Amino acid sequence: MIHLENVYKSYSNKVKVLHNVSLAVKPGEFISIVGQSGAGKTTLVRLLIGEERTDAGKVAVGDWDITKINRREVPFLRRQIGVIFQDFKLLPKKTLEENVAFALQVSGERPAKIKKIVSSVLKIVGLDDKKKRYPSEVSGGEQQRAAIARALVHQPKILLADEPTGNLDAINANEIIDLLLRINKFGTTVVLVTHNKDIVNRLNKRVVTMEHGQVISDQEHGKYLL
Amino acid sequence: MLSLYRIIKFSFQDIVRNIWLTIVTITILLLALFSINTLITVRLISDNAVAAIKEKIDISLYLKPETTEAEIMALRAKIASSAQIKNVFYVSKQSAIDSFRQKYQNDPAILAALKELGRNPLSPSLMIVPQNFEESELVVNNLKMIDSPIIESRDFSDNTVILKKINDITRRVNQVGLFIIFVFILTSLLVVYNAIRVAIYTHRQEIEIMRLVGASNFFIYMPYLFSALIYTLLSVLIVISVFYPFLTLLQPYLETFFTGYNINILSYFVDNFWLIFGAQFLVVLVINIIASLFAVRKYARI
Repeated sequence: MIHLENVYKSYSNKVKVLHNVSLAVKPGEFISIVGQSGAGKTTLVRLLIGEERTDAGKVAVGDWDITKINRREVPFLRRQIGVIFQDFKLLPKKTLEENVAFALQVSGERPAKIKKIVSSVLKIVGLDDKKKRYPSEVSGGEQQRAAIARALVHQPKILLADEPTGNLDAINANEIIDLLLRINKFGTTVVLVTHNKDIVNRLNKRVVTMEHGQVISDQEHGKYLL
Repeated sequence: MLSLYRIIKFSFQDIVRNIWLTIVTITILLLALFSINTLITVRLISDNAVAAIKEKIDISLYLKPETTEAEIMALRAKIASSAQIKNVFYVSKQSAIDSFRQKYQNDPAILAALKELGRNPLSPSLMIVPQNFEESELVVNNLKMIDSPIIESRDFSDNTVILKKINDITRRVNQVGLFIIFVFILTSLLVVYNAIRVAIYTHRQEIEIMRLVGASNFFIYMPYLFSALIYTLLSVLIVISVFYPFLTLLQPYLETFFTGYNINILSYFVDNFWLIFGAQFLVVLVINIIASLFAVRKYARI
């Protein structure tokens, strides 16, 4: 599902962010990428959604060879990969329902289909009763759930979660992880980028550990090593 | 069609939900437009004032008191036949003394002196209006060359100096005026450009989110370009609705100030409505669109 082969990335000649990273993620896997700040985790996510380009090496997501992707194709790639972030990235002047619908509207879906999908994903994340509220009117956990709902509208094969629990308390963080596990059970590949030790240890899933831009460990049922 | 509908909907939604930002942006556009229109008005008034002063400067040819009307009319016809002359008015001895009395009606000493004299001391004259004010000097030179025994005095030295000074002042006023207008318009356009950039700066997070959920560039740019159109349209409409009542209030004062001269700012703005406000709409729209394109591009880069 995701293939990285000898990937190099630096922001200048001096700052090397990724150094010879190779990684393969199978369809339906739940993988945690852990590491300290500056390890290169977020850069990895940015490469996967076409926000950054590699200096060398190959990145492939599904059928897309991202190293060769055309700028015009990037929006289509992003519609096939669900992404959630630490800061939720919801449009503040749109309601939760409008935020979720927006991802479908920009891809030109018909209103009837949008209504059906939005209603369905909001039920999955448990926000059906709060859909008319603005992001500022709900909790952080609920905002993240709305972001997950938005990421699910295109029924992506991959869901990238970049520090999704970073702004949440323990209870909300566990709820979000449970939701990600549920989504993974439906067959979606989940890539969780985190430095939350408790969550990683609780998951007992594959753990890839990064340090100084390199993969230093890849365990099938791993623990947080650092 | 569906995309266009959504773009218009998102644009209006954004304008309404960010109402304070909309008000501030439109206010800045309004101030810029109002300044430009005020400058146009001031320019019109100054042009009219200069024209009025020019009309006040007459070139007079004083004739001998004993000259007959027939001789005067012949000379008048001769002068009026020149292409450089717009009009020649005959001022008789009687008209001259009547105007004199009217002018000094509040000065009993002068009126008493006139009475003491017991006769009309003023000469008949011909008042000459040149076709083009800038050619006054040429007209004066031609008048000096007319050989007629009925001419008593043709000393135009005072007039020549005044004419030269007025022409110089007019030329300078035009040069300075154009420079001020240029600087003013440039400043206004820069203010408008920055106002739009600031408005879009506040939307940078939204633009980033649009990119991340897979919005195409068309979908990212178009709502902002449509908002730029709405901002421009609203500001021009408001400036029109404010400026016309303002001109209606100003007009009576101008008429009082320029008594005897045909000055009508309101009708100028009505007659040139599309030229003045159409041009303003187009220029502001182009600036808004350029500012929007540059600002959105900055945050929409993949």
